[in-house]
Amino acid sequence: MTLLHLVRKSAFETSDFQQCIDTLAFGDQVVLLDDGCYNMRHTLMNKLTEVMVIKVHADARAIAIQAGTLAISMAELIDLTFKHNSVITWQ
Amino acid sequence: MAFIITTPPNSNLTATALNYIELALEQGVSVLGVFFYQTGVLNANEYIALASDEFQTTQQWQLLHQKYQLPLHLCYTAAEKNGLSEEKNTNNIASHFTVSGLGELVELTSAADRVVQL
Amino acid sequence: MTPANEVDNQAQKLVAILNSTAPFSSTNGKDALDLALIFGSYEQVTSLFFQGDGVWQLINNQDATLIQSKDYLKTFAALAFYDIENIYLCQQSLNERGLTDSQFTIGNVIVLNKLEFSEKLHQHNVLFRF
Repeated sequence: MTLLHLVRKSAFETSDFQQCIDTLAFGDQVVLLDDGCYNMRHTLMNKLTEVMVIKVHADARAIAIQAGTLAISMAELIDLTFKHNSVITWQ
Repeated sequence: MAFIITTPPNSNLTATALNYIELALEQGVSVLGVFFYQTGVLNANEYIALASDEFQTTQQWQLLHQKYQLPLHLCYTAAEKNGLSEEKNTNNIASHFTVSGLGELVELTSAADRVVQL
Repeated sequence: MTPANEVDNQAQKLVAILNSTAPFSSTNGKDALDLALIFGSYEQVTSLFFQGDGVWQLINNQDATLIQSKDYLKTFAALAFYDIENIYLCQQSLNERGLTDSQFTIGNVIVLNKLEFSEKLHQHNVLFRF
């Protein structure tokens, strides 16, 4: 059973992203959206091999897409929702 | 799928939620309903007046409801706490919202193949 | 006759409610508990998880009335009545807060290490977090 994790908060502000990382299992995927985009600048990213970010959310905030992070659209997020068994939101 | 919304109408987080839901509907995903909880219930306030150059959250909910017959359920206990009323003379709940109880969330969760909290 | 694509929708829902917020200053704790009780009253399989500051909700001897707050913590006692018996605490969160030897208001809590907590969470197919 895999989970899709939606991270909407900055790790510079709250521990939601850290808690998310603590619960990740093999096959899970993480999507950064809203203030979660700021996490691309956080050292916690070193703990993850593959992270996705909603492109327009990062662009709106002028946060460049970091190397190794996959920029996706909201439409692709819908597909991801159905790729995994369930979704958990970290907000 | 079903959604539970806990963010208020004048938050960009709700714009993200509306975006997500609208895209799902456009893609033909069956969205059984949206359940509003916590400050999310404020989205049902008939009298929200956002500046015209701001994202019109209430209008968007209404549009989705009209275009897709998307059920919008309001948790009544949370609504009361947030000043929403359906009493005859003090009704300030927009008509496209259905006043429900938490049991409705159980029903939605039970029937939906995916539940997303935003 | 149920169409094939609807069969999946009727899969047994295993609900996880993850508590991440301390009591009182936010309604998250009470709102999460209300949700747990309603799922329980509808006989849905429901588990409660406590992580981060959420673990503060379970320590003994709290008195909400001292701060003009409703003591919703008493309602944890109702969980057993609705057969909500799977209550999991994150060990790391307890350690960080010096709560390892604490008495909790619920008797049958299960303290899990990081891996176990994650595994247990992954056994559920509907996840709410407050």
